[in-house]
Amino acid sequence: MRNRTDRTPTPPLEISEAELVEMTRDLEAVHQDVSLPALQQSVEQWVETNHEAAGPRRASRRSFLLGSGAAAVGGVLLAACGSSSSSGSGATTTVGGKLSSLTGDLKVAALAASLENLGVYAYNAGIQAATAGRLGSVPPAVVTFAQTAMAQHTQHAEAWNAVLTGAGKAKVTVTDPALTPTVNQMFSQVTDVPGLARLALTIENVAAQTYQAGIGVLSSSQALATAATIQPVEMQHAAILNFVLGNYPVPNAFNPTTDARPVSDLDGS
Amino acid sequence: MRFPTRGHPDIDPGELRPLLEESQDLHADSMAETGESLAEMVELGHEQRASGPADPEEGQAFAAARDRNLAGAFGGRLLVAAGAGAALSALLAGEAFADAPADIQMLQTQASIENLAVATYQTALTLDFIGGSSANPVVKAFATTTVQQHQQHAKAFNAAIVQLKGKQQTNPDPALLQVVKNAEPGLTGPLPVVALALELEEGATQTYVAFTSAFTDPNARKVTASIMGVEAQHAAVLLAVQALLSGGAPQLIALPPNAAALPAAAGSVGFPQAFYPTNQARPANEGAVS
Repeated sequence: MRNRTDRTPTPPLEISEAELVEMTRDLEAVHQDVSLPALQQSVEQWVETNHEAAGPRRASRRSFLLGSGAAAVGGVLLAACGSSSSSGSGATTTVGGKLSSLTGDLKVAALAASLENLGVYAYNAGIQAATAGRLGSVPPAVVTFAQTAMAQHTQHAEAWNAVLTGAGKAKVTVTDPALTPTVNQMFSQVTDVPGLARLALTIENVAAQTYQAGIGVLSSSQALATAATIQPVEMQHAAILNFVLGNYPVPNAFNPTTDARPVSDLDGS
Repeated sequence: MRFPTRGHPDIDPGELRPLLEESQDLHADSMAETGESLAEMVELGHEQRASGPADPEEGQAFAAARDRNLAGAFGGRLLVAAGAGAALSALLAGEAFADAPADIQMLQTQASIENLAVATYQTALTLDFIGGSSANPVVKAFATTTVQQHQQHAKAFNAAIVQLKGKQQTNPDPALLQVVKNAEPGLTGPLPVVALALELEEGATQTYVAFTSAFTDPNARKVTASIMGVEAQHAAVLLAVQALLSGGAPQLIALPPNAAALPAAAGSVGFPQAFYPTNQARPANEGAVS
């Protein structure tokens, strides 16, 4: 790539900040009017289903696959999980409930919530580091990206936790216990925006692939619908991060699941 | 008519090539996984015939739900302008597809959407401002790669259909085809082309999101799930490109982008919703083969 400093100065944008804000506000209105109510309805139906189906669940072929087959995959993060954790910057691995005792779709929901919490944690840590001046110059668009992505991950976590609390289980307020040490270790090495973007991209890809793997094993249609409405959003985050990093934004015609997390991430917790 | 541009970003089209090659390597790995899903589908397909015979009540309920969504949500957008509501109602009311199991119909509809996307991007690439010498290199590379990805999606869906003993769908979605035809005279610059492509990508993504929880065959679901996020990524790129074109800043459509020059709001324009909606999802039998 040509050195960016060789380029002539970029002409000012003809679109105003206010116009762009207005565009995103329109899209946000669609979200509030259409997609959020649809998701809430799906979650409510799932909660109802869980109430009706209270009692011991029969282990299905699907839950078997998620519990064992998926554990064999993991990619970069899994391989690095033995790394030491040294950032001390806030993510907790202390689990407030017996997540390992959950089964079936509820265990997948707990895993999903813990991954969303990890996304929130990472973006929040990044924003704090940027605010403190530890990442050098941070473009305003990157700040907006991080704030918006963090808000969306917060909503995703809330959706999964609504399912859990609706089934009489505790909310998951922790980050994925198996991944958190690795993320802390990676974050401790982040010194600039591209470094933060690479860490965020890893988390987004892991989340998207975990949802995709989950779609292959979830039992209830409501759980499937919840995962299906979130997975493409994580992939959109990944596309923009790839773009920012100078990578082609849509690298695969078929999204893989090699970096999907197994529900065994919650075991021992 | 030439779209007025303010010059192209300082990027050599050759610079994109290594990135595309790298993405193709990644794609080969992911394709292997999809192949596994399809192979498993063959095995399971012998045991169960794609959820068995079509359930008329289930099909009607599904179609009615989609119809309600379409009636309320496409307001002001291309499909309504094309009068697609009436066309869709006619399709939904038809009995021609009553023999095909729902999973096969949905896969055929998905293949028809892919076929239309392929044809639309191919047509767009014949336009000088998309695929010619005056095109933005990033937009051109995106259109070229995206048409290939849609071709692969169509093949995957048709392979899945065959494995479920259904008929392959090689034609475009009939209702969306009319939308494209109606839009064609207005494709006089990059912006309307991007808007049309965005409509198709949104329609594809939302359809696959909706169908993912409706499939009874797990492998049809897996194949669809491996594709729906990719369409969402196409939409994210197009949303960003659309915003920059609308703002008269095509020079910022570059890879990598000059992030420092982007306005703050550009950071979130590519992913406007926390939960992907399904109000633009297509009816299950819209692209079914009779």
